[in-house]
Amino acid sequence: MTAAALPPAPSRAGQTVWTVVVGAVLLAAIAFLDVDWAGLLDLPRATWEYGVLMFEHPDWERLPRALFETWRSISMAWLGALLCVAVSIPLGMLAARGVGPSWLRRILRGVFAVIRAVPEVIIALILLTVTGLTPFTGALALGIAGIGTQGKWVYETIESLDDAAAEAVEAAGGGRLAVVRWALWPAALPSLMSFALYRFEINIRTSAVLGLVGAGGIGSMLSNYTNYREWSTVGMLLIVVILATMLIDAISGRIRRLIMEGAAARGMARST
Amino acid sequence: MTTAEARIPARPRTWPRTALVAGAVAAFTALTCIPAIGGVEVDLAAIARNWRNGADKMAQLLQPDLTFLPRTLQPMLETLQMALIGACFAAAVSVPLTLWAARPTNPNGVTRRLVRGVVNVVRAVPDLVYATILVALVGVGALPGLLTLFLFDLGIIVKLVSEAIDSSEHPSLEAGRAAGGTQLQLNRALALPQSLPLFANQWLYALELNVRISAILGIVGAGGIGRLLDERFGFYAYDDVSVIILEILVVVILIEVSSNALRRRLV
Repeated sequence: MTAAALPPAPSRAGQTVWTVVVGAVLLAAIAFLDVDWAGLLDLPRATWEYGVLMFEHPDWERLPRALFETWRSISMAWLGALLCVAVSIPLGMLAARGVGPSWLRRILRGVFAVIRAVPEVIIALILLTVTGLTPFTGALALGIAGIGTQGKWVYETIESLDDAAAEAVEAAGGGRLAVVRWALWPAALPSLMSFALYRFEINIRTSAVLGLVGAGGIGSMLSNYTNYREWSTVGMLLIVVILATMLIDAISGRIRRLIMEGAAARGMARST
Repeated sequence: MTTAEARIPARPRTWPRTALVAGAVAAFTALTCIPAIGGVEVDLAAIARNWRNGADKMAQLLQPDLTFLPRTLQPMLETLQMALIGACFAAAVSVPLTLWAARPTNPNGVTRRLVRGVVNVVRAVPDLVYATILVALVGVGALPGLLTLFLFDLGIIVKLVSEAIDSSEHPSLEAGRAAGGTQLQLNRALALPQSLPLFANQWLYALELNVRISAILGIVGAGGIGRLLDERFGFYAYDDVSVIILEILVVVILIEVSSNALRRRLV
């Protein structure tokens, strides 16, 4: 009776039901969305045509201006990241289980969720009335808009730490502040720094988005020249944006890896 | 000399490194604050001067005109449809691309680097920039929005999942290879089922992000609720804007809660 030794094949009924439901919803969404699908057929031709317009003779004469605006975007992203990290680390720590009181934890998590839901463009549009159409507005908007996600990462990092060090500090008679300073902070620091750099990388992309609504930087330049239909300049700007973003990603990614590898070597990596 | 003190190791000298890092950060920050080379002019005085404007606007935003709600439902539905379709198409295309971009599932260095390079280029273009250019390419409407979301999701999913596959151990793949399986068989029978939770996690994340992004894609003419948002903002109809923002907020939180619930079951 070797056949009986085999376990029965697991039921796939649940999986099938889910597949059918998701498929039906997807088909309904496609059917009822008012899309000009014929445009999709035309896409390869249009992409080729505009690609040639953009990249055949990129307009390098405006490169100095583009680099100036790129630095502006980077500055916006950096200052925004600094502001975001400076606010979200203390708030995120207070929102972690075992650090702050539970009523504060609930309030802070609610605030983070609300900020996460508001698109950064909206925050920028509100800030415009205070600081005007300036890169400073962009930096502030990036700083505020990032708090939602960054704060969440901070408390998730703290909560995923090994309890042993915290228990040791408590056993040695340390209070809650001592636990944060001597157990949680050193163990979480590599992850927090890594997330801070990651925020900078995200902000680089988002700062281009904010540029589209007028906060300045490379995004503003790109949207202007797209509106002017000056495709050779748009092509040059795209090349600059892509290269700058990839360069910063590479540098920041390298630093993040160094930070985390150092942490792993010292046995302080996140336990999960 | 075996006193208790002698056995305590010396405190590690970390301050030179800390000082170096702090100095580098401070120098970079200073460079980003010089307007002459493109830095940001930090104008704290403007906040002190004009904070009332922002406060007024916030106050106006806190008075939503709920009678506007019915008019927002259709664009909101469009936004959700775009988010779902974009995420599903990206999910379907992401599977082969991801397996191509990860080392354990594609030992061929040339094709792996090629896929990774393409994905990195795709990822380096910000979402609204795609939308702006695609609107110029295929015209105003939901189609450029869909394509934007598709490209954006694809970049995120392929990058994050292929890195996750790279960084984990794959003893079963080795076993499969030892048993004489071809790479395609290994990927189909072992790597795919194993990495499905990773995929599911990122697919759900892409869906969440899509709802958030498609809410603003309309600003550049790529369909969805963003178009209405931009229009009402242009008319200074802040009570209507407030309804739209509240609606986006509710939808985003609903999607996040349900996707977290799903994630707990799937992952």
